[in-house]
This record gives sequence, C-alpha cells and structure tokens, in this order.
Amino acid sequence: MGGTSTNECATSIWVPRDPDFFESPNAMSEHSASKTSSQTSTQIGIALLGLVLSFLMMWGATGISSEAGYAGVGPNFLPWVVAMFLAACSAWLLWESLTGGYRHMPEASGAESADWHAFAWVSAGVLANAALINVAGFVLSCALCFVLAVRGLRVSQGDAAGNLSQTLKDCVLGFLIAAPVFWLFTMFLSINLPNLTGTPWL
Amino acid sequence: MLDTWNHLLSGFATAGTPINLMWAFVGCALGTAIGVLPGLGPAVTVAMLLPITAQVEPTASMIFFAGIYYGAMYGGSTTSILLNTPGETGTMVTALEGFKMAKNGRAGSALATAAIGSFVAGTLATILVTLFAPVVAEFAVKLGPPEYFCMMLLAFITVSAVLGQSTVRGLTALFIGLALGLIGMDQISGQVRYTAGIPEFMDGIETVLIAVGLFAVSEVLYNALYEGKSSADMNRLTRAQMTPTEWRRSWPAWLRGTAIGFPFGTIPAGGSEIPTFLSYATEKKLSKHKEEFGTTGAIEGVAGPEAANNAAVTATLVPLLTLGIPTSVTAAILLSALQNYGIQAGPQLFQTSSGLVWALIASLYIGNVMLLVLNLPLVGLWVKLLKIPKPQLYAGILIFATVGVYGMRQSSFDLFIMYGFGLLGTLMRRYDFPVAPVIVGMILGPLAEAQMRNALSIGEGHWSVFWDRPMSFSLLAVVVICLVLPPVWTAIQKRRNAT
Repeated sequence: MGGTSTNECATSIWVPRDPDFFESPNAMSEHSASKTSSQTSTQIGIALLGLVLSFLMMWGATGISSEAGYAGVGPNFLPWVVAMFLAACSAWLLWESLTGGYRHMPEASGAESADWHAFAWVSAGVLANAALINVAGFVLSCALCFVLAVRGLRVSQGDAAGNLSQTLKDCVLGFLIAAPVFWLFTMFLSINLPNLTGTPWL
Repeated sequence: MLDTWNHLLSGFATAGTPINLMWAFVGCALGTAIGVLPGLGPAVTVAMLLPITAQVEPTASMIFFAGIYYGAMYGGSTTSILLNTPGETGTMVTALEGFKMAKNGRAGSALATAAIGSFVAGTLATILVTLFAPVVAEFAVKLGPPEYFCMMLLAFITVSAVLGQSTVRGLTALFIGLALGLIGMDQISGQVRYTAGIPEFMDGIETVLIAVGLFAVSEVLYNALYEGKSSADMNRLTRAQMTPTEWRRSWPAWLRGTAIGFPFGTIPAGGSEIPTFLSYATEKKLSKHKEEFGTTGAIEGVAGPEAANNAAVTATLVPLLTLGIPTSVTAAILLSALQNYGIQAGPQLFQTSSGLVWALIASLYIGNVMLLVLNLPLVGLWVKLLKIPKPQLYAGILIFATVGVYGMRQSSFDLFIMYGFGLLGTLMRRYDFPVAPVIVGMILGPLAEAQMRNALSIGEGHWSVFWDRPMSFSLLAVVVICLVLPPVWTAIQKRRNAT
C-alpha cells in the first residue's frame, strides 16, 4: 500500500536528492520529450487545479467570522493560511511543470498508457453501487458493483471480458461475498446497511 | 515501578477475558491476512472497520485495531519474501534480501527469521512501551498548548517535507489534508466552515471516507488503469525453520533492529520506512557475509529490518497514547477511532482511561505470541491467499470499502465522494504525491488549530508565546532544521561532486 515510491522516499533522507535539484530544466533528457507531452499537460492541470482550489478557499475565507477573542486569531485564520500556502505550492508546481516537468519524479509503476476501457468498467461499478444502494439494498448493489469491477479488471489484464456464463459466475461470486459481509455487519455488529426486502437476510 | 506492574497485571486481567482474547485473535488473523494480500494495508482496514466503534466497546475495538496494525507487519513480510511485492511499505526492505533468499530455495529460513525477529522486537518494544509510556505521560502533563502545537507542527513537517522525493509535492499534499480538516464546525468557536451548505459536511468529512477513497478505491482504479499487465512470479515455499548458524546470525540483527526501530517509532518521522532502511544499511556494514547481500540473499538483511519495523510500529503507541500525536497513518486512524468514542488521547489518558490503556498494552504481549503461532506453523495457510486472482480480489475490496464508508453514516452521498477521492488518489499516485500527509493533515489539523488558538489565548494574542518558552522554542528550532537541512545538504553534496 502507499505506492512503490516509498522505497525512494525513505532513502532520500540518507542519500541526498538528485544532484540536478538546482539545475536548469534543459537537463531533462530529450528522448522522453514525445511521451511526456501528455504528462506535462496533466502536470499543468494538477497545478492549475490547486490554484483554483486555493482561490476558492480564499473566497470562502472572506465569509468566515474573524471573531478572535483573547487569541487574536479567529476561525478564519487557518483557512487563510492554508489557502495561501496551497496557492504558493500550486504556483511552484505550475512553474515546475512549465519548465520541464515536476522534479525528482520516480518512474511511475505500471504501464505507460492508461487503460480507459477497464477504468470505465470499474468506475461504473463504484458509481452504480452509490446510486443503487438505497434502492436495491446492500447485497444486490454490491454484487452488481463486483460484477462490473471484475469485468473491468479482467479487461485490464488483457483477458476476455467474459461471456454470459462467466458473468453469471461473477454474479454468484459477488453475491457470495456481499451476503455474508452484510449478515456479519448487520447481525453481529448491528451496523445499519440498507436491505431490499425489509428482512435482515437480503 | 510497582505501580506500573500492578497496572499491567490488571491490564492482563482485562485483555485476558475470553471476549477480548477473541478480538485480539481476530485482529491478528485479519491483520496477517491483509498484510499478506496486496492492495489493502492496516490503515485502510482499520478505517473500513471504524463503523464498529458505534457498537463495540472501546477497549475491545482498540485491542482489535492494534492487532490488525501489527498483524499486518507480520503478514507483509511473507508477501515481500515470496512475491517481491511488499504488502506493506514497512516491509519493503525485507523484499531486498528476503526475495533473493527465497529464490535460492531458502524461503523457509527467511520467513522464520522474519516471524521470530518480529516477535522478539515486538515483545521487547512492548516492554519498553510499558516502562516508558507512563514516564512520558507524566512529563507530558506539564506541556502546554504552545508545546503541543510545535510538536504537531514538527509532525506535519516531517511527514510531508522531509520524507518523499519532493518537498513541494509533500507540502501540497499536507495543505490539501489541512484544507479537508477545515470542513465542518470549528472546534473552538462553533463557526461552520466550507460546508457549501451541504448538511452532510457539518460534522466534517469522515476519516474513513478519505482513507478508503485515497487508499482502497484508488488502488483498484490504478490497477485497472495501469497495472493490469504487471505480473509477479511466486517463489516456492519451504518449511519455516532455521539452522543453528542462521540463528546465530539472526539474533544480533534482531536486537540491533529493535534498538534502531524503537526510537524512530516514537518520533514523528513518518512510520517505519526510515528505521528499516537504516537497519538494512547497518547490517550490510557489519555483516561478515557481505558477498551474500544482493546476490544469494543475506539473512541479516531480513532479520534486522523486520525487527526494526515491528519495534517502530509498537513504539508509535508511545506518542499516540501519551501525547495524542500520531506518527504514522495507521496511528492517525487509531486516533480518529478514539475520537469516535469521545476519548481524548493525551497525557490524561493514563489517568482517565487507564483501564483501556493497560489492557491495550497487555494485549500487545498476547498478540505477539498469537502472531508467532499464526505465522510460523500456519504460514502455508496465508500463502494460499496469494492465489486469489487479482480481478476478484480487487473487486472484492470494493465491497468492503462500501461497508466501511456507507456503514459510518448510512449515506449514499458518501459513496460518490469516496469515488472522487479514489480519482484524487489515483492522480496523486501517478504523479508521486505522497498520500500520508493528507491523512495526517486532515486528522491532526483541527487538533493543531485548537492548540494554536489556545496557546495564543495564553499569550494574550502574542505570537512570542511560541518562542518565549524554552521547550517550545527547541521544538521550533527542530522544525526549522528539518526544513532547512535537506536542501542545504543537497547543495553541499552538489558542490562536492562538482569539484
């Protein structure tokens, strides 16, 4: 968990960061120029998103009371501080992304290009679950989520997405995972999860 | 001293009741399982189970959560050794030597030294916690809001700016976490902030929502997007036992690992990554078998870091219980579990909830024994978990994510937000933004703000209150050193390389 980058993270204290820390962005190798063009635009996008967020926070902070009492700082103090620092960090990231990309980027794990087809199936599973859970109950809604997500993950492995009989098997498996979880949490731990039939079984 | 002994005995009496033993056992078993499985870690597992705090009494659930926390460290090493994909960040170093040992047919020795080393270090560290935690708590009572604020500041800085590849990306993550912590009602004035009129946001965003979104959902999305084609070969499992020579080579490494790991767990240095790397470097330097490192696999390279890892994990309980300051992501989520009960972690905890604290400490002793049994003779059982195909495993994780997030507030709105955080987590992982600062910032942020404003009230609005007091001045100095030293160090190194 936490990504594989932690490997480099921990060493970076003892093994100081790359020597190109203060070097000009031209040091970026040229051969990667073509593949990084979409990466660069995403990096710019992330930085801009941070800036927008920080401006929204500042705008929100203007509406927060500054009633300070003895402390001299009120509830609007930290929002301003956070917004300012977030803006500064985002601006820095924007500068980095415009001058050759973020610094000290380890190789991201996994494939170079994203598999949006698989992503769409998994996302559909999570979102369908969120939309249906109150209507269809926990067990059926989660089983559906399982079926859609498993299909997407299979696609991402380059396997066949699955025919009808495979899908039916997924449905059964999804049900067999979701139902005991539902029973365990509702009956033994008395946690409220939505049901379809008004009984504690489904 | 005698006092501690009495407390500990009564702690054993509480932890030894059948129901609490059951919670400890389930926690240890579940922890081992999720440690073995890729895709889930102790932090997100505890987060998913936070809804049980509404029903289960605090002592039992803290015993349960702690079992998950250090159980995951035992289980994580199994995956590192057999699969070379660390189940946990803390067991990353184990993969360096352990995987090479396993490749050369010594998987059993590697697993044995990892499990026994974890047990030795875990038990020694628990003894140290028993001895030191009450002392620290007694000292901590004397600290005021300015000191607490400076300590929290230090935790923020080390977790975001010092660890990680890039200071600016770490700080960005921290401020996103702090911003999330701002949502909801202000602790001191009751003023509502950043709720955008949405009633669900009044009480703030649930920890479980953010942890599950950033860790579990993003893990599934990231796998679908980028890692479908990655595969790993599994090493063959051999019997988990060691030869006398291996015992002789292991035990000094265990002790050194414990000595390195424990202090690091007690300071806000972001958990167990640094001590494990330090221990690895130490063992490599001291070993009489340097040729085995990185080639056939050296047993010291597994024994030391594993011990350091477990000692550090156990030691995180000292600042968590005595100061209320989490030094790792899982500790932050444990803190949030205590908050769910309305229990304020801090020096008073040893007086107000002394029963809970000592039962928890006693359960650590018991849990370590349980884990030794679970992980040595039964290791073959856990290895079977690695045979679960990835699509089914990751899709199953989504079901558990739903339980945790929906179970907390019974709101399907939260499930949509969870997906949003899943997207954020995927983006952060792809562009190397650390996730830990978001969680720590979000949980610790509101507490730090309250301490800051209380401190300023004491100082009648003067900021000098933070540097007029010697203790808080020293802490501030450490913060500055942490911020300034790494870039300066880099510059010096660069100059040296240039000449």
